[in-house]
Amino acid sequence: MTDEALVARAVEGDVDAYAALAERYYSSCARMARRMLRNDADAEDVVQETFLRAFRAIGRFEKGREFRVWLFTILVNQCRTAATSRKRRQLRFSDDEAALAGAADQRPIAVVEEKSAVAAAVDSLEPLLREAFVLKYVEGLEYTEMATITGAGISALKMRVKRACDALRPKLEAIYHE
Amino acid sequence: MSDVDNEELFERAGAALRESSASDERAREALVRAIRAEARRRRTPPRGAMSPWWMALAAAAVAFAAGLGIGRATGRQFVAATSLASDSAQRHVEFVFVAPAARNVSLVGDFNGWDATATPMRRTDGRATWSVSIPLAAGRHVYSFVVDGNDWVTDPQAPLSPEQWFGQRNSVVVVPVGDRRS
Repeated sequence: MTDEALVARAVEGDVDAYAALAERYYSSCARMARRMLRNDADAEDVVQETFLRAFRAIGRFEKGREFRVWLFTILVNQCRTAATSRKRRQLRFSDDEAALAGAADQRPIAVVEEKSAVAAAVDSLEPLLREAFVLKYVEGLEYTEMATITGAGISALKMRVKRACDALRPKLEAIYHE
Repeated sequence: MSDVDNEELFERAGAALRESSASDERAREALVRAIRAEARRRRTPPRGAMSPWWMALAAAAVAFAAGLGIGRATGRQFVAATSLASDSAQRHVEFVFVAPAARNVSLVGDFNGWDATATPMRRTDGRATWSVSIPLAAGRHVYSFVVDGNDWVTDPQAPLSPEQWFGQRNSVVVVPVGDRRS
C-alpha cells in the first residue's frame, strides 16, 4: 500500500495504518537520529518521540505532501532540540556505545570496520554539515526536500554539503584506499 | 581525483551508513506498542462515563483579549461564529478549566501539534482553576485539555467538533475576525 493510502487511513483514525508507516520509516529515521546525536539510546528516544508527535498531528497532515518529508521535518527539529539539551551526556557516552555496538556485531570485521570508520568520520563534522551530508548521501533526498526539512535555502544546503564533502574526502580516501 | 570519483566516494560512504542496526527490530516493535498505547490514551470515554471528580467541577470559558480589554464568551457564541473565514490576524485567547484535584493540566490543539508539553496551564483563582492565554489566528481551532498528563478531556462549555481523530472528538473554538468585544 502506498504512503498516501496509509496516511489517508491514518487520518481517519486507523492505528494499524499509522503503525505500518512507522514500521516502514523507522530505520531511516533511526539512521538519521544516530548520526545527528551520536548516541543510540538518545536516537531511539528521539525517533519514538518523533513518531508519537506525528501521530498526534496526523489529522492536520496536508493532502499532497510527502509523508516522509513531513516526518523528517519533525525528526530534524527533535534531533536539534535533543542535541542541545543532551550535549554533555552524549559527548560523555557516545564513544563507549560505539565501541560496544561494534563488539556485539556478528558481521565480518572488514564490514564492521568500514561502517564504524565512516560513521566516525561523518560524526566528526559540524552538526549542520553532518545533517546536510546525511540527508543527501545517506537518505538520498533532493535539495528541495532537504530545504523543506531543514528550513534552510537550497544554496545554503549545497554549500553545507560541499563543505562536508571537503572535510570528509581525505578521511574517506584513507578508509577506502589504505 | 575526479568529480565522478568523488561522488562515488560519498555515495559509498552513504551506503555504508544505510545498513540497518541490529537493535532496529526491537526498537521498531517498542515504537508500535507506544503508538497503540497513545491511541488508547486518546480514546476518551463517553462524556457521561468519564472520571467524575473533575468533570463535575469542570467549567471552561474562553476570553478574547481584543484591544483594550478581555471579555468572556460562551460556547454558544463560538458556534455562531463558525462560518467566519480565517485570516492571519492573531488574537489572544484565554482557556480556563476548573480541576482542583489535578496535579497538572495542559492545553493541546491543532495550534500546538497536539503536544501535551507545549502549553502547560497555570493554577489561578484559589488553585481550583487552570488557565492559559495564547495567541491564535482568526478562524476555527480544535482543542482538548490534558489532565495529569494522561486524560484527554473536552471542554464541557464549548461545542464538540463533528470530526473524530482516533475515535475522539475535540472542542471547537472560533476566533472571530475583526471582533472588538470587551
